[in-house]
Amino acid sequence: MSAKTPTPALLTGLKVVVLADRLVDFGGEMLARLGADVTLADTGEVTEIRQAAWHGGMRYSPASSTPLAELLAGADVLLDDRRRTPRAEVDALAATQPQLVHVVATAWPEATSPRPATDLTLMAASGLMHVIGTAEDPPLRLPGEQAYALTGIQVATAALMGLRARARTGRGQRIPVSGLQSVTLANYREAVMYEWTGRIGRRVGNKLVRGASGVRQVWPCADGYVTWSMIDNPGMMRAVVRVMDEEGCAGELAEIVWEDILVADTDQAIIDRWQDLVGAFFARHTRARLGDWSLKLGWGLSPITKLAEVPDSPQMQARGIFVETPQGKLARGPLFAVHPEEGAA
Amino acid sequence: MTGALHGLKIADFSWVGAGPRATKDLADNGATVVKIESARRLDLGRRSPPFAEGQSKNHDASVFFAQTNTSKKSVTINLSDPAGVEVAKRLVAWADLVVENFGPGYMDRIGLGYETLQQIRPGIILASVSVAGRTGPMAGFRGYGNIAAAQSGHADMTGWPGTEPHMPPLAYGDVVAPMFLTVAILSALEARDRTGQGCHVDVSQIESMVHVAGDLFAGMPEEKPANDDPVMAPHGVFPCAGEDAWIAIACEDDSQWRALCAVLDAGDLATRYPDAGARRAAAPVLRQDLSDLTAPHNGATLEQALVAAGVPASMVLDGKGVAESAALQAAGHFAPTDHPVIGPARMPTPPYHLPDTPVAITASPCLGQHNAEVFAEIGLSADDIARLTEEGALA
Repeated sequence: MSAKTPTPALLTGLKVVVLADRLVDFGGEMLARLGADVTLADTGEVTEIRQAAWHGGMRYSPASSTPLAELLAGADVLLDDRRRTPRAEVDALAATQPQLVHVVATAWPEATSPRPATDLTLMAASGLMHVIGTAEDPPLRLPGEQAYALTGIQVATAALMGLRARARTGRGQRIPVSGLQSVTLANYREAVMYEWTGRIGRRVGNKLVRGASGVRQVWPCADGYVTWSMIDNPGMMRAVVRVMDEEGCAGELAEIVWEDILVADTDQAIIDRWQDLVGAFFARHTRARLGDWSLKLGWGLSPITKLAEVPDSPQMQARGIFVETPQGKLARGPLFAVHPEEGAA
Repeated sequence: MTGALHGLKIADFSWVGAGPRATKDLADNGATVVKIESARRLDLGRRSPPFAEGQSKNHDASVFFAQTNTSKKSVTINLSDPAGVEVAKRLVAWADLVVENFGPGYMDRIGLGYETLQQIRPGIILASVSVAGRTGPMAGFRGYGNIAAAQSGHADMTGWPGTEPHMPPLAYGDVVAPMFLTVAILSALEARDRTGQGCHVDVSQIESMVHVAGDLFAGMPEEKPANDDPVMAPHGVFPCAGEDAWIAIACEDDSQWRALCAVLDAGDLATRYPDAGARRAAAPVLRQDLSDLTAPHNGATLEQALVAAGVPASMVLDGKGVAESAALQAAGHFAPTDHPVIGPARMPTPPYHLPDTPVAITASPCLGQHNAEVFAEIGLSADDIARLTEEGALA
């Protein structure tokens, strides 16, 4: 685990107040990680996981101890989470501060009737769940609280857009952000495919369907799994088959001129036969060995890292993405790198 | 009224998804984004389906490209030609910001590395997005958004407990990373306002995916959570009447649980499992009981009844459901555009509304559509443009 915490302080001097109910939590954390002075004035109920996951860098100061009006004095940004609480009185208070960028997050668009919502129900309404998982099982969500995280990013973006506008106009503004729209933006395929082709995406497991055929995306290897797909990239295919040939296991793949065929148009039975050869090759090697070959030879393959292994990966270590807190717990580090570091201070 | 970023000038060398989605954010908010492309090295986004009227060979017919590149201008510059690079340097001198998502070292190799950019335009900001970031042992890794799912723990945590890792049919890293890139760019602009200095912001798809899985890293579960929640119960997806029809239901507290039972006319379920702890302990049985109760219902009607009773619930929408969603239409989520090749088309808008500085969505550009306009603005004469085009530098 890295000891360095090169968090870029790009937002030094910015003062932010947060009323959180999960839609804005990560947005507040992002601004804090970027150097803003962020006060968490309301959180609702807090679990240990929620605090560790989404409240990094924020200072807790409940409105019960300091009135919101006092916290807002001199504030640049208010992140106002209305997932469950209307907080209509906050509008009047915010309106007394013309410089304030007031970001109001609701689960469903403010233009529609308020309704109860959680991460799961927002994910369901986004269309993403419909294509995640296998045909024989119910739809699945992406892991963790992705709807809340995606909304949080858009909350931070809205706040920063409001600041850019303020720099030109001299005034803040009230900026509604919709959780539903934030999540739906991540679903870049399904609605547009339906509108232009009439096709509705289905759950197809780990198969990547292109044209008339499907190829595997996940492969067992000697010590876990890797991801790789037999796609129409002749250079990549040649690079993989060359090593297979050196090991004497390329079989009929060694005879194929990849520029002359389109995997997407190849009969599924033939693809399955080719994939059997590749699968036997992968099964003989470890994730690390296959990953090294991929990095050096441009295979487009990646080891699949277990969640608990991620913090110790050499890349995460080198970039300082996980840090140890003074309490000896694991915490995430900077959101991104800034070069040169001193230029970002 | 003009957008929040009116006056900001961007030289956008990025292509496919991870870079262009960020520069779309900036263009929709009023920045002038000039997309540097080449017919000799076509943006793969222009080859990505769906295509208007199936015109897969037409560089301007991809609706995928159209929705990723709204409100931008397009010029064609051949960056493998030194004369083309010289024109690109003029664009850098014009710009406040350069965005790129090339393979590792490419910008340096063509003479557009960060140090050179600073010499051309002191204070300029360079924004890069890549699979693993520009430093570290994986800096040279070439790949696509699914690699980020593999390396960040997402693939490991997606799927049902006890099953192999799962890769959904979307490159989620290609969606999340550009959102981080937009935040990085806007933050760098704030810093430059304060310090006068530019910088190079370096966004990694893997790291972006790590950050949005913050709750997983905080809890570090050993098994895939699937649709379960560590606190809420029930929290899952249940069948409804019809083919592949499902409703997601989540109860945050006991009052919502009782309301759910009332709507479903669930007999003694409410009293048998009075609190979330009891419901989590009996999760498999409860899941089956609730599935039996929801299965006969029309999903939309059940969703309406549950929401009216204060229970978080939503049908699991498919692509058709999203395209026709009344809530998204009411929010203006899809903006109308008129493209010279694609024709009338709806394009996604940012999920926020700045009433004083509103977004304005215009159709994506055709390849090289703005050559004459942009090249004239950076000081090329009509003769220069004609000659460089003839020589292949502006192609």
